[in-house]
Amino acid sequence: MRGRAAASRRQAGRALILVASIALVGVILLQILRAAGEIQVGFANWRPVLYAYVVWAIALGAGQVLMHGERGRRALFVLPAVLFTVAVVIFPTLFGFYIASLDWNLSATSGPRFNNFHNFVELFNDPDYWNALTNMLFYVVAVLVEYAIAFGLALLLTAEIRARKFFRLAFLLPFMLSPVAVSWMIGKSIFEYRFGPASNFMRFLGWRTPAVFAHAWTARIGIEVMAGWVAIPFIMILLLAGLQALPKEVQEAAQVDGASAWQSFWRVTFPLMLPVSITALLIRIIFQLKLADIVINVTGGGPGGATDTVSSYIYRVYSDRSNVGYGTALAMFYLVMIIIFLTVMLRLANRWTRNLT
Amino acid sequence: MKVGDYNNIIAGQQTSRRRLLQGAAGLGAAAVGGGFGAFSSARAAGTPSADEMALRKAILKVPGVGKGSPTDADWQKVGELCLGPTKARVKPGEFKGVQLTFMGLNNQNLHDFLFRGFLKPWETYTGAKISWIDVAQADYSPRLQQAIATGTIDFDLLEMGAPFEGEVCGKGLTSEMPEEVKQQIDVTDLVNYLKPPVGTWEGKTYRVTIDGDCHTINYRTDVFSDPDLTKAWKSAGNSAPWGNPRTWQQVQKVTKFLAGKQVAGKDVYGYLDAPKPWGGFGFYFLASRATAYVKYPGEKAWLFDVDTMKPRVNSAGWVRAIQDVVDALPSEPPNQINADPNTTGFQQFLAGTGSLVSWWGDIGQNANTSDSSVVGDVIGFDILPGSDDVFNHTTGKWETLSSGPNFAPNMAYLGWGVYVMSRVNGDSAKHKAAWSAAAHLGGKDLSIWTVMYPSGFQVHRQSHFNIQEWLDAGYDKAYITNYLASQSNSYNHPNVAIEPRIPGIFQYYSLAEDELAKIFAGKVGAQKGADNIAAAWEKLTDQLGREKQIALYKASLGI
Repeated sequence: MRGRAAASRRQAGRALILVASIALVGVILLQILRAAGEIQVGFANWRPVLYAYVVWAIALGAGQVLMHGERGRRALFVLPAVLFTVAVVIFPTLFGFYIASLDWNLSATSGPRFNNFHNFVELFNDPDYWNALTNMLFYVVAVLVEYAIAFGLALLLTAEIRARKFFRLAFLLPFMLSPVAVSWMIGKSIFEYRFGPASNFMRFLGWRTPAVFAHAWTARIGIEVMAGWVAIPFIMILLLAGLQALPKEVQEAAQVDGASAWQSFWRVTFPLMLPVSITALLIRIIFQLKLADIVINVTGGGPGGATDTVSSYIYRVYSDRSNVGYGTALAMFYLVMIIIFLTVMLRLANRWTRNLT
Repeated sequence: MKVGDYNNIIAGQQTSRRRLLQGAAGLGAAAVGGGFGAFSSARAAGTPSADEMALRKAILKVPGVGKGSPTDADWQKVGELCLGPTKARVKPGEFKGVQLTFMGLNNQNLHDFLFRGFLKPWETYTGAKISWIDVAQADYSPRLQQAIATGTIDFDLLEMGAPFEGEVCGKGLTSEMPEEVKQQIDVTDLVNYLKPPVGTWEGKTYRVTIDGDCHTINYRTDVFSDPDLTKAWKSAGNSAPWGNPRTWQQVQKVTKFLAGKQVAGKDVYGYLDAPKPWGGFGFYFLASRATAYVKYPGEKAWLFDVDTMKPRVNSAGWVRAIQDVVDALPSEPPNQINADPNTTGFQQFLAGTGSLVSWWGDIGQNANTSDSSVVGDVIGFDILPGSDDVFNHTTGKWETLSSGPNFAPNMAYLGWGVYVMSRVNGDSAKHKAAWSAAAHLGGKDLSIWTVMYPSGFQVHRQSHFNIQEWLDAGYDKAYITNYLASQSNSYNHPNVAIEPRIPGIFQYYSLAEDELAKIFAGKVGAQKGADNIAAAWEKLTDQLGREKQIALYKASLGI
C-alpha cells in the first residue's frame, strides 16, 4: 500500500513539474513569436513570463517534495536561492551576451540587428577602450598603496592609543560618503583651481598653477586619491577585524624570543594576516575595476582620456551615444577579463601564501 | 490689474482673458524707444495691450531686477498671476483626478524647478496633479532615447529641444497641438526663425515654444576699456584700437595678449573655451568658433554634405577652428582643459574670470539677476565674432568677401519647447489637461518673466523686444538695448547656421567631444583628430541608416 502511494506521489510530482515546465516554455515561445512579429496573440509585455517562472519554481519545489519526500524537503532549503540566482545573475548575463551580439543603436530606424559578434572584433580596434584598460592598470596597482595605508591605520587602531573608539569611527567616515559627494566636495571644491583650499595650500608651497586635473599624471593621482580616501577605511576595517582575531600568544612568543617590532610585524603578523589581506585586496580590486562615478564627475575621463576608466568609457558609449549593442559588448568582454584576472590572481596568491606560511 | 480683480471680471462677464484684453489700446510701439532697427518689425506683431501691459508689469516686479535670485515663492506668484488664460478655458477643479507626468531638466536648479512653481497654482485651480521626472542635461538625451527605443514613454509632458523632433515627432510619439492652444499661446508672436518648420513635423504643429536659442559673445566692458591695457596694447605694436574683438582672428590675438595681464590687481584672461565634454552639448561651443569659417553665405549646409551626409568636420574651416582652441588654451586659465560650458559661463565668466565667452542668452539674464554674478555692470553683448575669410566648401578655397568679415550666428539647439505625448490622446480629460498645462507654461505673459529672470530660457517672441518692459522691470537701458540687439541681430542674421534636426545628432556631437578632448590635451593633431571625428561620424551614419539620415537632413534644411 505504502509503496503504491509513494509511486503515485512520485508520478504526481513528475506530472506537476512537467505541466509547469510545458506552461513556462509555452509562454516563453508565445512571447518570443509575438516579439518577432510572427503571431499577433500573446501578452503586451514580458511580465507574464516572470509570473510563469515563479509558478514553475513553486511547482518544481512542490514536485521535489512529492517525488523525494524528506530529501525533497531538504532541497527546498537550496532551491529558492538557486532559482533566484538563475533569475537575477545567470539569465541577465546570458541575455547580456545576446545584446552584445547585436548592432543596436537606439536612434537607428532599423532597430536591433544581429551582427555576427562584430562588436567583439571592433573593440580590439577601439583605441579609447584600450586606453581605458591601460589606465585601469594604474588604478589597480594603486590599490597596493591603499592597502599599505589601511594596514598602517589598522595597526594604529589595534594599539592601545587614546580615543581609540573615536578614531575608529572617524577613520570610517569617508567610507560612509557617496563617491559622488566626495567628487564634488574634494574634486570640485577643495581642489578647485581658483579658490579651493587645497589649491591655495599648493600655491603656498610654491606651485604657481596648481591645476591638478589639467595634467595627465596629476589628474590620475588626484582621482586615485579620492577613490582611495573613500575605500581605505573599508580595507582598514577588514584588516582590523583580522588583527583582532590573531592569537596573542604567537606575538607574545615572538617578543619573548627577542624579535624587534619590525621583525614581529614582518615575520609574524603579516604572514598570519595574509588570508584576510588577500580577501580585502580582492574585494577592493573588484570595486576599483568598476571605478566610474568620481571620474565622470571630476574629469569626464580627461584630460584627453588620461583618467578614463573602462566603466566611464562604457557609460559614454551607452549613455551619450545610445550604442547599446557595442556598449554591452565592451562590458561583457571586461567581465570576462576581470574573471580571468581575478582567478589568476587568486591562484598566485594562494601559491604565495602556501610558500610563506 | 490685481489678480483678484481680474478673476472677478472674468467670472462676472463670462469672457475670455484675450477677449477682455482685446479692446485695450496697444502701447508697445509708443513705449519703445528708437534705435532698434532690427526690432521694429518684430515689435509690431507682438505688441501687448494696455491691460496686458499692466499685468506684465506686475509679473516683472516679482521679485524685481537687482533684488536677488527669484525663489519658489516667486515662481508660484508668477504662475498665479498668469492663470488668466487657463481660467478662461477650464472650470475650477475640472481636471480633478487627472494625473500627469512631466519630464524635464534640472539644470542649475532651473527648468523643472520653475515649472513646478508655475504649475502649482494651475494644479490648485484645475485639480490635476503632476509628478516630475528631473533629468540632468548630460543624461537627458540617453533617458529620452531609451524611453523611445524600449517603448517605455512614462511621461505625458516633455521638455525637449527641436533637434530631437526628428526622432520623437517623426515617430508619432507626440500629440498634435489643438487650434485653441495655438490661439491661447499666440504662436504668431514667435520670432521668425522659430516658426515652422521648427516645432512641426509633416505639417503638424507639436511644440509649445518656451525658449529661443543662439550663441552670442559676452564680453567685459571694463577690460576692453581699461586705460592700462589700452596703453599696453598699443605698446605691443597693435595698430587697431583696443576694444572688444569682432572677428575670431581678433579674439585669438586679444586672448594671447591678455595672458599674464592684470586688471584691478586680478589676473585677466581673454576668451574662455569649454574643452571638457558635456554630454554632446559641448560641441556647440566649437561650432560657435567654426560657423564664421565654414558657413558660406547662401549655402545652408555647414556640418554635412547634403546629398551624402559626408562630414565637413575635417575640412580646412573646421580644422582652423579646432586649431584656434589649441592655440588659445595656453593663454586661458591654467585649469581650462577641465572646464565644461557650465564652468565657463557660470563659474568663470559670471564670477569674474575671463573677458570673453560664447554662450546662450542665459549669461545676460543672470548677470543682473543672479546672486552669484559679479559682472552685471561690466558686461557687453554682441553677435558671435566673424572671420576675415570664409572657407568655400564647393571650391575648397578660403575666400575674402567683398562685404567684409563673414558672420554666421550659431542657432545652437533651436530652443526648448514643451511637447505633449501622444499617449494622452485616448483620454480626453488627460489630453485637455496636458495641453492646458503646456499652454500655461508657454503663455505669452509668463514668457516675458522667464526671459527676464534666470530660467534657462531666452527671448523667443517678438513681444520680448519691447525695451520699455525691461526698463520698467529695472534693467538699465544701455545694458538691455545691447543685450536684446545681440539676440535680435543673431536671430535675424541672413547667414544663420541652423543645425540639423536629425536622429542621433547628439551622438555625433558626443563622438566629436571625445576626439576633441584628445586634440586639446595634445595627444593628436587638429587635422588627424578631425579626420578621426569624420570617420566616426561616417560609421554612425551607416549604423543609423544613411538614406534615412540624408532625407531627414534635407527636410530639416528645407531642401
